[in-house]
Amino acid sequence: MFDTIASITQGRNRDEDDSEATATASAPESTDSSASRLTGTELVLGYPTTDDPIVDGETITGERGAVTALVGPNGSGKSTLLKGLANQLAPDDGVVLIDGQDIHSLDTKALARKLGLLSQESTSPDSITVEELVSHGRYPYRGFFEHVTYEDECAVDNAIDLAGCDHLRDRQVGSLSGGQKQLAWIAMVLAQDTDVLLLDEPTTFLDLHHQLEVMEIIETLRDEREITVVVVLHDIEQAARHADSIVALRDGEIKARGPPEEVITEQLLAEVFEIDAEVDSTDRGPRITPIRARHEGSEAESTDS
Amino acid sequence: MSNRESSVGTDQATRSRPTGSRVDWLFDPKLLSVAFGSLAVVVIGGLIQVSLGSYSMTITQAWQAVFNPDVLFNHRAWNAFLLGGELPEMSRESLIVWDIRLPRVFVAILVGMNLALSGAIFQAVTRNELASPFILGVSSGAGLLILLTLVVFGSLSAFLPLIASAGGTLAFLIVYAIAWKHGTSPVRLVLAGVIVGTVFGSLQTALFFFAEDIGVVQSAIAWTTGSLTGTDWEQVRLVLPWTVVAVLLGVAGSRQCNVLLLGEQTAKSLGMSIEKVRFALSGVAVLAASASIAVAGIVGFVGLIVPHMVRNLVGSDYRKLIVGCLFVGPALMVGADAGARLALAPDQIPVGIVTGLVGGPYFLYLMRTQQHMGEI
Repeated sequence: MFDTIASITQGRNRDEDDSEATATASAPESTDSSASRLTGTELVLGYPTTDDPIVDGETITGERGAVTALVGPNGSGKSTLLKGLANQLAPDDGVVLIDGQDIHSLDTKALARKLGLLSQESTSPDSITVEELVSHGRYPYRGFFEHVTYEDECAVDNAIDLAGCDHLRDRQVGSLSGGQKQLAWIAMVLAQDTDVLLLDEPTTFLDLHHQLEVMEIIETLRDEREITVVVVLHDIEQAARHADSIVALRDGEIKARGPPEEVITEQLLAEVFEIDAEVDSTDRGPRITPIRARHEGSEAESTDS
Repeated sequence: MSNRESSVGTDQATRSRPTGSRVDWLFDPKLLSVAFGSLAVVVIGGLIQVSLGSYSMTITQAWQAVFNPDVLFNHRAWNAFLLGGELPEMSRESLIVWDIRLPRVFVAILVGMNLALSGAIFQAVTRNELASPFILGVSSGAGLLILLTLVVFGSLSAFLPLIASAGGTLAFLIVYAIAWKHGTSPVRLVLAGVIVGTVFGSLQTALFFFAEDIGVVQSAIAWTTGSLTGTDWEQVRLVLPWTVVAVLLGVAGSRQCNVLLLGEQTAKSLGMSIEKVRFALSGVAVLAASASIAVAGIVGFVGLIVPHMVRNLVGSDYRKLIVGCLFVGPALMVGADAGARLALAPDQIPVGIVTGLVGGPYFLYLMRTQQHMGEI
């Protein structure tokens, strides 16, 4: 439909990215030089208020141009891990690399041009319009005294288009429904034009229509723009259906990782989510039928391994 | 132009507007009406102000004196006003208006700008609509040092403006230090401000007991309630340069304010060095507040109310909001000062009392009409 899809700003930053990709000299693959790889190695993450780390020495990789889903029960450390990958939380130990560069050593704006994050709870003043919100996504491209450029305007237009919120463009954010708001926020992160996108529960609290819409946007990003996506999902079935690879966490520990068909098993659901469930494989990926919640340890251990 | 485009439909290139429309937002009709309405208030309030006093003039006489071309286009006169040079010959009316009465209006304008700007920035930094130089301890710090100077170190009273600013800055640094715990947060900043404000307020009250002279107490009260009585060109010269600096930085920083309003996480993920920006913007706000305290004392409520009024009128886009504040702040100050002069004429009451009397009920009205108050 439009040829600008390969780059949201029509190639403004391509040269730079290419040179950096070759500089890291870690590119045996030749298909895409624009996609980035995000690796967190031996990450130890915790909050200043807690003594023990929440995530203790885990390694996670967001593969180039693939969707990686983080799943796990409440409080399993999914969001913490994502924050660590996004440099929102400084790791006590371990390192996060984007294309071989330590994200901590990058300038904050330079990092924001490579890596975008959509947080779980996003707040904005009610009276700004969707277009204004989306244009904030161009912040990392502008210096203190610089003004909006043609690229910025194209990026905002394309992002709004990609997120399918063209009809909301001039609406005030405060007047939108939860699902529409989420699309507007996604458009803002898209305007950031990053090769890596981290999303924290982008579908939680949305109606089915908007959930599917969000997941479709993610797939479009992967398929057409080869963006590396790491997404925290609450819904395991959704993760199984849309992700290329799944990482299952429990108590801050990665219990399983791999393609959905391998990871989503009855045994894993028992171990990680403490539920008895039936898993059927269909041509749309594994289908999960939850049966009952498991209680306490004894029963769980008897069926383990 | 738009008709043609809508028929083309999804065409990408035509939809984006041409560059060069970067100041489009300035011509927002709401912002323009706010600006013109405020200008009208400033002009009317200013004319009332210049026509009143022991040498009474009619409004027409005052008007003629204000727009007297012999003064307006006389660079020696401006040299005298702005740089403190020798005053040239002029008619009696012009002399009274230009040398005695107008400076008070100009100080009111500059103080209004500074306080409104300071409040607007503090509200963005703390993401709290209730923040103001008052809440964040700046005013109480300045007030304490003013009292201390007047009561204990009387010999230093020539340096009151500087001391007031130092007190404001010091108090804000204490607030920031108390609020700092692996970074700051809006709520902790406000709480720390309340704590410091309470302690400093008590110390101020305690100091009144040590004042021996009733004149000192009155002077202290004038400072801590905010008054424009007796201001002249010297005050204009004192506050003008800082106002220019603060306004330029404030306008330049409005985009940072907008991004700050998206929340800490979002601002950070957009690549903002959030603590640096927050500290720098606070510095601008402290500068603006201190400059106004230095010449007019602690005028309450302006810093809190004006950003609210403007937000209700033009929305929370800080580019517009800050520009709006630069007009509404002066309007409120000049209007209130005219009221302060008229209310109990021929006696004058401190302008801070009027802003408090007007601001309090307006704030109450806002509280009643707005569903959500607090977070922006």
